[in-house]
Amino acid sequence: MKDLYLMALAGQHSYKGLKRYIVILLCLAAGLPLGIIGGTIYYQYQNSLTQGVTNQLKTICQQHKEAIERFLVETSSALRVVTQLETLEGITRKDALQKSFNILQREFNHAFEDLGVIDASGFHVAYVGPYDLLGKNYSNTAWFRETLERKIFISDVFLGFRQVPHFIIAVARGSGKEAWIMRATVNAAKFGSIVENVRLGRTGEAFIVSKEGFFQTRSRTGGQVMEQVKSKSLDLSFFEGVKFWRVKDEAGREVLRAKAWMRSNTWLLVVQQDVDDAFGELYATRNMAILIFFLGACLIGVVTFFTTRLLVRKIELLDKARTSLDEQLIQSQKLASIGELSAGIAHEINNPLAVIGEEAGWIQDILKRDSLKDLKELDEFKDSLREIAQQAGRCKEITHKLLSFARKMESVIKDVDLNKLIEDVLAMRERDAAYSNIDLVKQFHPNLPMIYSDPSLLRQVLLNLVNNAMDAIQKGGKITVATDIGEGDSVEIRVNDTGSGIPQENLSKIFDPFFTTKPPGKGTGLGLSICHGIIEKLGGSISVASQVGKGTTFSIKLPLENAKGAI
Amino acid sequence: MLQRILIVDDEERFRTTLGKRLSERGLDVETVGSGEEALKIVKEKLFDVIILDVKMPGMDGIETLTELKKINPNIEVLLLTGHASVDSAVDGMRLGAYDYLMKPCEIEVLMEKINGAYDIKAGRDDRIRQAEIRRLVDRSPS
Repeated sequence: MKDLYLMALAGQHSYKGLKRYIVILLCLAAGLPLGIIGGTIYYQYQNSLTQGVTNQLKTICQQHKEAIERFLVETSSALRVVTQLETLEGITRKDALQKSFNILQREFNHAFEDLGVIDASGFHVAYVGPYDLLGKNYSNTAWFRETLERKIFISDVFLGFRQVPHFIIAVARGSGKEAWIMRATVNAAKFGSIVENVRLGRTGEAFIVSKEGFFQTRSRTGGQVMEQVKSKSLDLSFFEGVKFWRVKDEAGREVLRAKAWMRSNTWLLVVQQDVDDAFGELYATRNMAILIFFLGACLIGVVTFFTTRLLVRKIELLDKARTSLDEQLIQSQKLASIGELSAGIAHEINNPLAVIGEEAGWIQDILKRDSLKDLKELDEFKDSLREIAQQAGRCKEITHKLLSFARKMESVIKDVDLNKLIEDVLAMRERDAAYSNIDLVKQFHPNLPMIYSDPSLLRQVLLNLVNNAMDAIQKGGKITVATDIGEGDSVEIRVNDTGSGIPQENLSKIFDPFFTTKPPGKGTGLGLSICHGIIEKLGGSISVASQVGKGTTFSIKLPLENAKGAI
Repeated sequence: MLQRILIVDDEERFRTTLGKRLSERGLDVETVGSGEEALKIVKEKLFDVIILDVKMPGMDGIETLTELKKINPNIEVLLLTGHASVDSAVDGMRLGAYDYLMKPCEIEVLMEKINGAYDIKAGRDDRIRQAEIRRLVDRSPS
């Protein structure tokens, strides 16, 4: 605040600086909390949204892992049941296999492509399905041997004879020469739909990758079945349960990813979504927040700017008022000090002046003697001495006026009827005015209150003003003296003349002591400064307005009661 | 009879020159430079009018006036004020001074005032004398 005050003191040019200072300060004070609140809320919102997205991905991952594992378990169990119920002879009858196939298709929603039976030597002895696979021998294939060994086998997705991605579920029964295998083919595309149907926003998807890094289901974001996973960002290392990552691939695409190993840790289920997509809502919210922040900041800025402008203008006006008050104060101090100085000088000069006068008078006296009657230069002497006496007299006049200007007035404060007082003053000048053909006009307020003031001082002031007015008019004109009730507890006296007026450049000096426009010797220039001093002492104010050629008006404002108290 | 005048002023040159000018006009003039001297000389000599400067170092005019009136209330006093302090002059007149004059003053004006003061004093002296005579006459056995 002190800075503000100092800046305001520094003057006119600093108002701009002050304005800038306040605007910046207020904008910071209002904008900072706004920004902090906005930022905090955004951060919190982002956190909870991230949490939400993470949980969603993990849940989907978990659910689908369970669904896939359930599907595999259920299908292999169903096949197993069939093998347990049938014998090799029974099942190789075409109708029997067809019947089993139909039941399985019904139970598992047409997940199977075909169904076949393979005997111990690897020959396809029975088959239901779209391909002609009867008689094919599988004894050399890895899956055949593995199935016999482990009794149950689920393959990765492969192309096989038919050149279509698929995987097989095979169940073996019996051992040695009695052994036989029931093999069902699961269409990779159909199987894939379990995970491929996962839809999350725009980019959310799920797919399965084998532990060797081949797609087992199609990936919408690039990756057909059986293709090798290109992205190095997909980490195939083993872990337990469902885990969550946020990774960036080579193309700079950032994804949120949940993964889970399944089917005895040979397939990896991946559920992922682009960060941009997952947080789309967040970004919209963020943009909205930024927009609100920006609009709020604009509003604060505009309001601050206009408020500050108003404020600074007020300060400017106050400063101006103070400056004019200062000027008035300086004016009265100036008058006071000039008064003191004048009194001092007048006093010191007065005694020598008296001596000069007396000495000149003495010589004049001597010159009157008879013995000097015949002096040749008598007239010259007399003329010179008369001049000395006259000039000494002029000096005396000046010193007396100076002293009366400076003298401590012993006021007699009492009730004054201004109208009556002015009437008296005008009566004193009536005859002279008539000689000069000047009308004295009275415009008195009929109900002017009595004021508590010094009548003799007021008389002096009014007489001075009326004399000045008459001097200004010279011959033929009008002097109007008006009284009126002023603002607050005050009365106003206006002395207006139709005289020559006062030029603008002289108006400001008119109350200065010794300022006069009269020729030397005709006026001391003290009259108005004495008036000014008196009116100030009486707690009032005097001002002047003038137009050259039209006339001058002196306005005096006086309090009903002298607020300054003792004079 | 010569009017007996005493000039009391601290400004030596002023009082002597004024004294000479008044003597030139046929007055009997004495001058002193201070109130104390004035009081002393008044006890020794008789004066009709005293011209007294108000502003003096030491005893000022008003004090001197007060003391003078105690010594001889019959002397008329003219006050000379060096400055425009009419107030002290008015005070002085309340204390019995005849009138006041502002310094520097015209010799004619001063003469007028001296004459006025002297007339009052002379008139009073006259009445006192007549009263004395009446008293003496009343007392004398008829």
